[in-house]
Amino acid sequence: MKLIGGYTEEMRESIEMVEKTRDERMKKSFPPMSLEEREEVLNKYHPDYKPDKKRAVKVGPNKGDLAPHEVVDLLEAYPLIDPKEIDLKTIDYDVDLLIIGGGGAGTVAALWANENGVPAENILMATKLRHGDANSMMAQGGIQAADRPEDSPAIHYLDVMGGGHFANKPELVEALVKDAPFILKWHEELGVQYDRNPDGSYVERPGGGTSRFRLHSAKDYTGMEIMRVIRDEFRNREIPVLEFTPAVELLKDSEGNVAGAVLFNMETEQYYVVRAKATVLATGGFGRLHIQGFPTTNHYGATADGLVMAYRAGAKLRDLDTVQYHPTGAAYPEQIVGLLITEKVRGMGAQPVNKNGELFVFPMEPRDVEAASFIRECARGNCVETPTGMKGIWLDSPMIEEIEGEGAIKRNLDAMYRMYKRFGIDMTKDPILVFPTLHYQNGGVEIDAESRTSVNGLFAGGEVEGGVHGKNRLMGNSLLDYNVFGRRAGISAAKFASKRSKPTGLNLKHVDSYIKELEKAKVPKERRSPMLLPDYRGEKVLARMLDIF
Amino acid sequence: MDIELVEIPKWNCCGAVSSLTADDVMHHVAPIRNLIRVIEMNEEGLVNDEKRLIVFCSMCFNVLRRSNKRVKEDPKFLETINSFMDEERDYDGSVKVMHFLEILRDIGFYKVKERVKKPLKGLKVSAYYGCTLLRPRGVGIDDPEAPSIMEKFIESLGAEVVDNPYKSLCCGSYHTVGGNKELVAERAYKIINAARERGADLIITSCPLCAFNLDNRQELTKKIHPDFEHMPVLYFTQLMALAMGMESETGFDGNYIDPRPLLRERGFLEG
Amino acid sequence: MSEEKMITVYIMGKAYQVPFGLTIMKAMEYAGYRFIRGSGCRAGFCGACATVYRKKGEYKFRTALACQTTAEDGMYLAQLPFVPANRKEYNINELDPEKNVLSEYYPEINRCVSCNTCTKACPQELDVMYYIQAAIRGDYRQVSELSFDCIQCGLCTARCPAEITHYHVAQLARRIYGKYQLKVPEHLEKRLKEIEEGKFDEEIERLKNMSIDELKSAYVQRDIEKIPRGEVSDE
Ligand SMILES: Cc1cc2nc3c(=O)[nH]c(=O)nc-3n(C[C@H](O)[C@H](O)[C@H](O)COP(=O)(O)OP(=O)(O)OC[C@H]3O[C@@H](n4cnc5c(N)ncnc54)[C@H](O)[C@@H]3O)c2cc1C
Ligand code: SF4
Ligand code: SF4
Ligand code: FES
Repeated sequence: MKLIGGYTEEMRESIEMVEKTRDERMKKSFPPMSLEEREEVLNKYHPDYKPDKKRAVKVGPNKGDLAPHEVVDLLEAYPLIDPKEIDLKTIDYDVDLLIIGGGGAGTVAALWANENGVPAENILMATKLRHGDANSMMAQGGIQAADRPEDSPAIHYLDVMGGGHFANKPELVEALVKDAPFILKWHEELGVQYDRNPDGSYVERPGGGTSRFRLHSAKDYTGMEIMRVIRDEFRNREIPVLEFTPAVELLKDSEGNVAGAVLFNMETEQYYVVRAKATVLATGGFGRLHIQGFPTTNHYGATADGLVMAYRAGAKLRDLDTVQYHPTGAAYPEQIVGLLITEKVRGMGAQPVNKNGELFVFPMEPRDVEAASFIRECARGNCVETPTGMKGIWLDSPMIEEIEGEGAIKRNLDAMYRMYKRFGIDMTKDPILVFPTLHYQNGGVEIDAESRTSVNGLFAGGEVEGGVHGKNRLMGNSLLDYNVFGRRAGISAAKFASKRSKPTGLNLKHVDSYIKELEKAKVPKERRSPMLLPDYRGEKVLARMLDIF
Repeated sequence: MDIELVEIPKWNCCGAVSSLTADDVMHHVAPIRNLIRVIEMNEEGLVNDEKRLIVFCSMCFNVLRRSNKRVKEDPKFLETINSFMDEERDYDGSVKVMHFLEILRDIGFYKVKERVKKPLKGLKVSAYYGCTLLRPRGVGIDDPEAPSIMEKFIESLGAEVVDNPYKSLCCGSYHTVGGNKELVAERAYKIINAARERGADLIITSCPLCAFNLDNRQELTKKIHPDFEHMPVLYFTQLMALAMGMESETGFDGNYIDPRPLLRERGFLEG
Repeated sequence: MSEEKMITVYIMGKAYQVPFGLTIMKAMEYAGYRFIRGSGCRAGFCGACATVYRKKGEYKFRTALACQTTAEDGMYLAQLPFVPANRKEYNINELDPEKNVLSEYYPEINRCVSCNTCTKACPQELDVMYYIQAAIRGDYRQVSELSFDCIQCGLCTARCPAEITHYHVAQLARRIYGKYQLKVPEHLEKRLKEIEEGKFDEEIERLKNMSIDELKSAYVQRDIEKIPRGEVSDE
């Protein structure tokens, strides 16, 4: 296969059309949709709106609620461990606070719990991969906070509600938008570097569905910049962390409070019992479930473990019926299919255009609407097809250089530029091919404004919890979410722990009764969860695998 | 003086700290890498100066010139270095490493004199060469037994030269960071006293380590020898800035023994 | 699917046939490896997949991110599961940015021999040697700028003959620069005060109490800041 500047000859032909219309398009615009138009394109084309891709859960607190099959398959599944085999008498770690998940939310919770009186040695973080191997590390675009005089937390509030189809929990949205400027200040004090204008003010950009410019970024390494600073601070405080040791089940005490967890050391295959006065769930999202077969932007460990564990412990979930597909995942080359192309690329002026070089949608619709419009454009036969059969829409990245001047891409989108260059494509000269990719878990474990779940002793922050974003999250609000609710979870958990004595009567009775429910509902026995890690081994290997060692 | 100095973009430390005491290939990599930068600067048109690298610090100068000499004399050695740095263009030995004093000498000290706005009349200055400006032979910028370049420099600023028999006695160099600070303090005692006996007001040097040893170590010297009297030690360029009327550039804030009271008293500084 | 061209890669010395066009990470998975270590973000942001390799017949010892590099025929691959690295604890609030804190906490940076091995090892193509040189000089801003895209993979550190832990030095420098040398923008300080004074409480309370229909109409009527250039939102 001959490639010219990374693209096949057929793709090159289409790129020529894109180039031809560029000057014209630079002057042009596309009207945003009305609410009714949005509704229509969503109903017809958004993957979430296909009724056959979801089903009602048969067991647990959300019995009867709809969720994607892939999620229900994990909720309606037997535990990995047999409660009878776990020795709960021997406690391996006895702490005030257990934090499950070493991404952004977990780290922020640990710092604020420490700040609120829990000594470092009485905290334990357990995480599945390394500390920081998480969606939080990968965020590119930025974080929202209404801090400009033209903006206000109230306007931010309205944007969040509208983006979420007005299904958000108001008290959570209020906390989100009001804490936002404080979070930035906290980051500043820790030494996080946000992009500055020459006069020292923040560079702020628009995001899909935001009515003000309020996206703060650190080039296109925003998530990494925040995550590595808070992790560095966490390390300075010498808070203990167990890596490659995910939680597999929550524990309860005799009064029914969550009181720790069973951890599993993936390397030695041994389990540990953790007793904790309070537990924070910060396990992030579920992109690696590949819902409806979509590729994903998420990290390797985004497998919904937290949802499963919390659900078995009786926590209520919400808004799991909607899933966020990011409109612009890489569709080509094959090596990076599904990886995120940050919304900032559109924010900086790159238009989405079809194979004929035509602009067909307002570039800054909310994510679900934008994604559905891309899918509609393909249904109309206007997509570019790749050699491996993927479909894609052009994102006309060279426009950015024309608008903001030469070098703008390298300055602001270095991660993107670098990634494409690694695979032979120069995005300053050629457009890039994108298609919606599975990105974010809109819903999750329901919390209140203090980050409490519906089960005593269990707190949650970040992508694992639900209610903040309603049915659809806006860009830049989930970095904010993990900071706001990670912090609130840390503070609330610290308070809770300080008021109680050591839990007694550790048990897994909730798991036993959940198993009974599953049996009653005739759930197939081989279905197990949590998933912990996806399995990408080659089919040929799997077909000849022996389980004898 | 019709010369313009251009900083090497992305220069790296020449490695003086280690390369004076070890002489393996690795320690020549750092200096030669800087020389490659000089060639690149000429090629890119950033400068056009027959590839001269001007160095202010005697120590760096010594390291750079010694490495340069070594590779020029030993083509096999140069080849090893070039093949080690296979990510860089090859070095060909064409850069000339010069100490700033040498450049002044080449231009002519009379030119320096022409630029002096405030001749340092009556100021008695003793030159301290130390080791790295003069040794080894073939690298040094002047006769190691009877050097005179710094004296000519002092005269061109209108000051009076005070000779010092210990002007190229080693100051103790790295002993100052190792365990033997006392040795350094003793050397300072010897060198400074000799200058004082001959009537000097202050000492100049062209090596930051010598300057540190003679200046900052006076604290310890005073402890060991309560009779010891402090004397300001200046970097030679500080004196030059003063004479040329660039008071804001003198950077006296950084001196341990503050020369300003003396200079004010003599009328070379305002206030 | 176009017909698959197969290549041979050597995973820790053992030969496997894998289709051409996969990343090293996916090629290893195709060959039957299921990662516990060595796979994090899978997108070039976390540094979990640091890989060293040689190509058949070449003396060069190369480095890569397994998730961001196409597997090629004849690669001898090994992953770096962990890099033992010297990291110093410090209190960010008690540092004196006027001093060279980097040299103080990591005096070994002064051992740099400018061999440039770190730069050659860096999968992000950063000027690692120069940021260490800037660190020696205590130039926080320059370390910060040169190291900003560091994903802390540890490859430089594993290769450095002077045993420097570059990425920890750089992290410290960036935090000092961010905290002490970048100013908190005035507009942020002002907003914080307004929030503290409760300036927006009433309005948010009003929004919270709206029915969905009221909210919808407020949402539709909200004015949208114009995206400069081209895209006009109200036509
Ligand atoms: C590519 C990408 C780009 C993004 N860009 C943006 C953006 O620009 N702006 C924005 O606001 N948001 C963005 N997001 C979303 C945002 O980054 C995440 O929603 C947010 O960081 C989630 O934080 P978290 O701490 O809840 O989860 P994570 O950061 O994912 O952390 C969860 C952690 O828990 C661990 N874990 C999982 N299961 C277990 C278990 N059983 N036991 C122990 N540990 C476990 C995981 O391995 C992980 O380390 C982006 C997301 C992705 C994937
Ligand atoms: S590898 Fe180490 S010694 Fe070599 S240039 Fe880099 S920091 Fe210096
Ligand atoms: S500087 Fe070092 S740790 Fe950072 S990305 Fe480069 S090689 Fe990895
Ligand atoms: S897995 Fe994160 S950089 Fe490769």
